Amino acid sequence: MTVNNASDNTGKTMKQRVSRFFLIGFAVVGIACTLTIPFVYESQTLWYKVGVDKTFLRAGQLLGLLALISLIVQIFFGSRGKVLEETFGVAALMAWHRANGILLCCLVSLHIALVLVPEGIANLPIGVKHWPEMVGGVLFLVIFSQVISSFFRQQLGFIYKQWRMVHRALGYLALCLAAVHVLFVADSFAQGVPRIALLVMLVTVFALIAVIKASILIRKIKDRR
Amino acid sequence: MKKLSIFSLALFFFIAGAQPLLAAVRSWELDKAHTNFYFTVDHIYSKIRGHFNEYSGEIKFDPKNLAESKFSFKIDTASVDTNVAKRDKHLQSADFFDTGKYPQMTFESTKITDVGNGLYEVLGKFTVKGVEYQLLLPLTLAGIKDHPAAKGKEVIGFNGMVTIDRLAYKVGDGKLFDLGVVGKDVEILVSIEALADK
Repeated sequence: MTVNNASDNTGKTMKQRVSRFFLIGFAVVGIACTLTIPFVYESQTLWYKVGVDKTFLRAGQLLGLLALISLIVQIFFGSRGKVLEETFGVAALMAWHRANGILLCCLVSLHIALVLVPEGIANLPIGVKHWPEMVGGVLFLVIFSQVISSFFRQQLGFIYKQWRMVHRALGYLALCLAAVHVLFVADSFAQGVPRIALLVMLVTVFALIAVIKASILIRKIKDRR
Repeated sequence: MKKLSIFSLALFFFIAGAQPLLAAVRSWELDKAHTNFYFTVDHIYSKIRGHFNEYSGEIKFDPKNLAESKFSFKIDTASVDTNVAKRDKHLQSADFFDTGKYPQMTFESTKITDVGNGLYEVLGKFTVKGVEYQLLLPLTLAGIKDHPAAKGKEVIGFNGMVTIDRLAYKVGDGKLFDLGVVGKDVEILVSIEALADK
């Protein structure tokens, strides 16, 4: 019996290690591929910038893409799928969810600053014809409010259950806004591989979230029985 | 009573006498739906066209009284429109118009000369990015007539074209010109319709 338990634990640990290897490896490959986009599929905006402005703009685009990945990862941390829970543990996932929230907010803030500086801070893209940038602005407000309301939930007097419901809804809304913002703000994503990759990734993310949510619901129903 | 009558009579003759002088130069109100300041600039091989959506202006014009005639325009640089939002934003940046610091370009005529065949040379102060330049704007009077669609109104029309070196006006520092991307010569088309009561 003890031998069986030991082999079970060894098997579980092995399975966790394999899962960790694949999940972390997948994330690293995903990040690396994403970060090549501003170089391989350079946006036309970059063509007309030189010197520091070009560096700032490219850095801003890279940080924006990192923010998108951070947002996707954040949703997975928050949704706590069975595989993630078994691989990393609930406590670690929640700690990462909190830390990643701050990281996401920092990435988005830096993205905005670096993208706006080359065109001039007094020259903000406001108005109907700059709607993709405006969507980005709304997205920033959603992310910022999510982080603030999470860290100061008690001080703000939010009831946990209600806050969690709104927090989840805004999380999915943030992903939708991010998708619209990226697809329409940058001509790198106007067509070709980046556009298709992003669309495939978004469909996959939403499908996985749906599967995770469905399995959690099934688990709850089984537990009740 | 007699004094009052003399004063009234004097006042009548003063106003009546002043009337032709006041009416000498007619004020025309820009028909903004049919007026604009268009520009064309080279981009490598193609021609990029644009215009400004926001502007205001004042026209006082009488072919018989050019000394009192006047053209003045104020163009909001942030309203530049080339049909590509990102390009417009770039044009608004410090690389071109720097709209945050210099929200308006202005033109104010100082001298109008009739050079014949309906052509008027309008010399004026053209202020771009806070610096005043002399600009000679040739405007062709297309005509003055009763407005075909608005009763009781007259319409006047002018068209003019001038080519300027944008780098001479500090609209760009030349780096995009040196790269062979954006030309330095900008062709400006001024097309005006203005209205006045008959």
